[in-house]
Amino acid sequence: MNAPHLDIRGLTVDFTTPTGPVHALRDVSFAVPQNSVTGIVGESGSGKSTVLWSILGLLSANARVRRGEILFEGEDMLRKGTDALRAARGQDMSVVFQNPMASQIPVLTYATQMRDILYRKRDLSAADKRTLAVEMMERVGIPDPARRIDQYPHHFSGGMRQRAGIAMALLPRPRLLLADEPTTALDVTMEAQVIHLIRDLATELETTVLVVSHNLGLIAEMCDHVVVMYAGEVVEAGPVRELFHNARHPYTRALLDCDPARITRKTRHLPVIEGSLPDLSAPPKGCIFAARCPKATLHCEAEAPSAQVSGGRHSVRCHFPVTEKSVPDAPRILDAPHATPPDAGDIPLLEVPYLNVRFRTMGPIRARLNGVADPFVDAVLDVGLTVRRGETLGLVGESGSGKTTLGRAILNLTRASAGSVRFEGREVRNLPERAFKPLRRDMAMMFQDAIGSLSPRKTVRALIAEPFVIHGAQDRDLDREAERLADLVQLPRAFLGRYPHELSGGQARRVGVARALALNPKLIIADEPTAGLDVSVQGDILNLMAELQREKGLSYLLITHNLPVVRHVSDRLAIMYMGRIVETGEAEAIFNQPGHPYTEALVRGVPQPDPDQRRTAPPLRGEVPSLMNRPRGCDFAARCPFAKDECRQIKPSQSTRADGRVIACHFPLI
Amino acid sequence: MLSDPSASQPGAGRPRQRSNVRLGQFLGSPKAMLGLTVVILFISSAVFAPVLAPYDPNALDIPSRLSGPTWAHWAGTDQLGRDTFSRLLFGGRVALKIAVIGVSVALSTGLILGMIAGYGPKWLDNLLLLAFDTVLAFPTIVLALATVALVGPSLELVLIIVIVSTVPGYARMARTATLALKNDEFILAERSLGASTPRILAHHVLPNVVGPLLILAAMDVPVVVTIEAGLSFLGLGVLPPTASWGTILNEGYLVINDAPFMVVAAGIPLVLTTLGFTFLGEALRDIFDPRMGRGRA
Repeated sequence: MNAPHLDIRGLTVDFTTPTGPVHALRDVSFAVPQNSVTGIVGESGSGKSTVLWSILGLLSANARVRRGEILFEGEDMLRKGTDALRAARGQDMSVVFQNPMASQIPVLTYATQMRDILYRKRDLSAADKRTLAVEMMERVGIPDPARRIDQYPHHFSGGMRQRAGIAMALLPRPRLLLADEPTTALDVTMEAQVIHLIRDLATELETTVLVVSHNLGLIAEMCDHVVVMYAGEVVEAGPVRELFHNARHPYTRALLDCDPARITRKTRHLPVIEGSLPDLSAPPKGCIFAARCPKATLHCEAEAPSAQVSGGRHSVRCHFPVTEKSVPDAPRILDAPHATPPDAGDIPLLEVPYLNVRFRTMGPIRARLNGVADPFVDAVLDVGLTVRRGETLGLVGESGSGKTTLGRAILNLTRASAGSVRFEGREVRNLPERAFKPLRRDMAMMFQDAIGSLSPRKTVRALIAEPFVIHGAQDRDLDREAERLADLVQLPRAFLGRYPHELSGGQARRVGVARALALNPKLIIADEPTAGLDVSVQGDILNLMAELQREKGLSYLLITHNLPVVRHVSDRLAIMYMGRIVETGEAEAIFNQPGHPYTEALVRGVPQPDPDQRRTAPPLRGEVPSLMNRPRGCDFAARCPFAKDECRQIKPSQSTRADGRVIACHFPLI
Repeated sequence: MLSDPSASQPGAGRPRQRSNVRLGQFLGSPKAMLGLTVVILFISSAVFAPVLAPYDPNALDIPSRLSGPTWAHWAGTDQLGRDTFSRLLFGGRVALKIAVIGVSVALSTGLILGMIAGYGPKWLDNLLLLAFDTVLAFPTIVLALATVALVGPSLELVLIIVIVSTVPGYARMARTATLALKNDEFILAERSLGASTPRILAHHVLPNVVGPLLILAAMDVPVVVTIEAGLSFLGLGVLPPTASWGTILNEGYLVINDAPFMVVAAGIPLVLTTLGFTFLGEALRDIFDPRMGRGRA
C-alpha cells in the first residue's frame, strides 16, 4: 500500500447565501493513494465537486473553509498563499473538465493554448513546447496531431475535444490529475474510449487520478478506490471491489440498487430512494441519511455515526452497517414478462412508412458560387417505424443520430422533406398548423431539458393549465385541473405557485409530464425523459410514466441514449445511426442478441457497475463521421470491426427476420 | 482550461434569492439612490406644478422684468416679467409628457416590431432591419427640420419625431433577445402544445425580453427630454407662450446680456433630469446585465 498522495482531513466548507450559511461539506476525510485512480461518487448536491474545487483553491467567492486540511504531498493546500497555489495548479495538479465545449478557449488554436499552459517552463523554447504538445496530442489519440494542433476547438468533434482536454491537462506532467465528470457530455461509445484513455495514460505517466462522477459504471470501470458522498459527508470509502460487492452503508446500497444497469431482470418498476436531500442550511443532528434510510432507528436520528474502519481500508459511517454481500447477479438472459401484449391487428397508432428530414447548409446563391451541387444535409433518412397502442417504442441513438429531429418531425415541429406520417391511419405530415392543432391534443411531447422546456416567467400552475387555455377549454376550472394533474404526477400542490427555476430536475420533469398529460393524449413522444436526473430520481419518473401507461393505455415513443433505462421500459427498440434505423425488434431480443454490429457496440458500450466486469478495451473506436460527407457504403463501415470491402462500397438494405427483427447490415451478427 | 467553478457549487447562485439580492444591490448603490431621488423630484414637481408654482406661468409683470433671483422670484423673471421658476415647473410638465408618451409608445412599438423581426421569417427580419437602420442613419435634427418645414412646429410633431427616432433602438434590442430565445426548448414546448404565434410572443417571449428594454427606456428619457428642449430652442418644437425648458432656454439666450441668470436657471433642471435618469438607468443595467455590471459601482 502506497503512502497517500493526497490526504484530506476533516474538510468543512460553508457557502454564504442571502438566507444564511449552507453547510456544503462537513468533516470530509479521505486519502488518495499514490499512482491510483480514486473516484468520488455521489448524486447532485453531495458536495463532490466542492471537494474538487477545494483542492484546487478555486472555490467560489461565497465559500468559506471552516476547518480541515488538504495535504498534497505533505503540504497543506489550504495554508498556501495565492501564488504558491497558482504555481501548484497546472504544474503539480491539473483538471479535466466536464464540458470540453465550454472549458477550452474558442479563439485560440490548440497550439497556442498548449504553449500557454507551459508558460512556467522558461527553459523550453517555443519550438520545444510545440513538440511536447504534439507528442501529447498523439498520445491521447488525435490523428495527424502536427496538423490538427493548429486548429481551433470548433474544428474538433466532442470526443476529440475531450481528448484534447486530457492532453492539455497532462501536458505539464502533473502528479495529480483531477477529472470532473469527464464523460458526462459524451456519448456511450466515446465514454468508453475516454475512460480507457485516462486510465492507461495515468499508469503510463505515473499520475495519481481523482475522478468525480455520478456514474457508477464509470467508477467501477476506472477506479481502484471509491469514496461515496452524500449531502456533504463521506458515507463510505474503500477499495472498488469491496465497495461494489460488499457495500455496507445503506445509501451506497440504495444507490447501487437504483442503477438500472445492475438490474438484470426486466422490470417495469425501478427502485428509487424515497425522500429528498436534507436542507444543508440546517443539517440534521444525527445521521445525515437517517430521514431516507429504511433501517434508521431513533439512535440514528439522535446521534451522528462516526466512521468505522473494517477490513483494512474500508470505512463506513453508519451505526448499523449492512453485512450481506452486494454482488450483482451474473448477467443472464432476461425473461421478458409482457404486462399487456399490444394488439397487433389494429391500425397502429403511429405509423411512419418512411420519413426524410433535410436541412439546408448554405443559401442557394452561396452554394452556386461555391460549386456545391447539394447544399443539404440529411438528418433523418428513410426512417420507418410504428408505434402500436399501449406500447413503448425505444428510439436509441447517440447524439447526432437524428433521433430528436425525427421526434420533432413527427410532431410537425420540424418540416419533413419527404415521406409520410400516419396517426390513427390519417396522413398528417406537414399539415398546416391550423389543421394540425387538434392533433396536438392526441400527441404530446416531453422535452429533453426538464427546466429549460418550461417558460421561465410562468408559475407551475399557469404552465400546467396552459394546454386547456390553448385548446379552448376555458369553461373548465383551471385551478382544479392544475391540482388534479399535480396530484396525478405526484407533485405536491405547494409547488403550483413556484417558478421553473425554483424546481429541482425531478420536479420540473413532473411538471413536464403533467403538461403532456393534460389533454389526455394517446401518444407521448418523450425526448430523454431522464436526462440530467439523478439515479435515485430517474426511477421515480420512469415508474410514473409506466403507471400512467397502464392506467390510460398511453403509447410512448421514448427517445434516449441511455440503454440500461430503455431496456426496462421499452417493448420494442429502434436503433438509429446517422439518420438511419439500423435495427428494430423486440427490446429483450435485441439486448440478448444484438443483430447489428453498432447495436452490439452500444449494448456493450455501457460501463458495467461491477469491477469484475471491466472491459479490456473500448468496444468501438473512432467517431461518428460528419453527416456532410456520408460514406458511400454502409454508414457504419468506418467504425465497424467486421467491415469488409462490400460494406464500404454498397449500402446495405434492410432485411426482415422470422421474429420480426429488421436489420440493415450485410453481415448481421445473427 | 477556463471554467467557472462556481457554476457547479451549491449555494453559489441560487436563483431563488436573486431578486432579493438585486433589490439589496439596488438599494445599496449610491448612484441608484441619487438617480431615483432626482427622478422622483422631477416627476412630482411636474405633476404638482399648479400647486407648487408661486405664480401663473404666463402672468405678465412688466415692472419686474429681467430680474435676477430674488425672494419673490427664486429663479428671476424673463423679459415679460413672467416668473421663471413657475415657468420651469410647467416646462417640466411638457418634458414629462414627452418623456412618458414618447418613451412608452417607442418602447411598445419597438418591442412588437423587434419580436416580429426576431421570431418571424428571415425575409421579414431583413426588411424590418433595413427599416430600422435607415431611421437610425438619419440624424434626428435633420429629420425634425425637414418635417417641421413641411407641417409647421407643434408638440405633437415633437412627439412623433421622438418616437420615430427612438423606436429602432428598442426594436433592435428586442429582436436580438428574441433571436436568442427563439430556439429555446420552452418555445418549442409551447409550439408542441399548439400555442399560436401571437400567444407565444405575448405570453412567453415578451416577459423574457422586456427587462433590458425597460432599462434602455430609463436611459432614453433624458435623450427624449433634450430632443424636445433642443427642438423648442430652435423654435421647431413647443410654441410660445407655452413654457418648456427649451423655449425658456431660447428666450434666455435672447436676453443673455441683460439677464444672464435665466439661461443658467433653465439649464439646471435639464442637467439634473438627464443625470438622474442616466444614473437610474445605469444602476438598473449594472444590476440586471451581469456582463456589463461586473466591477462597477
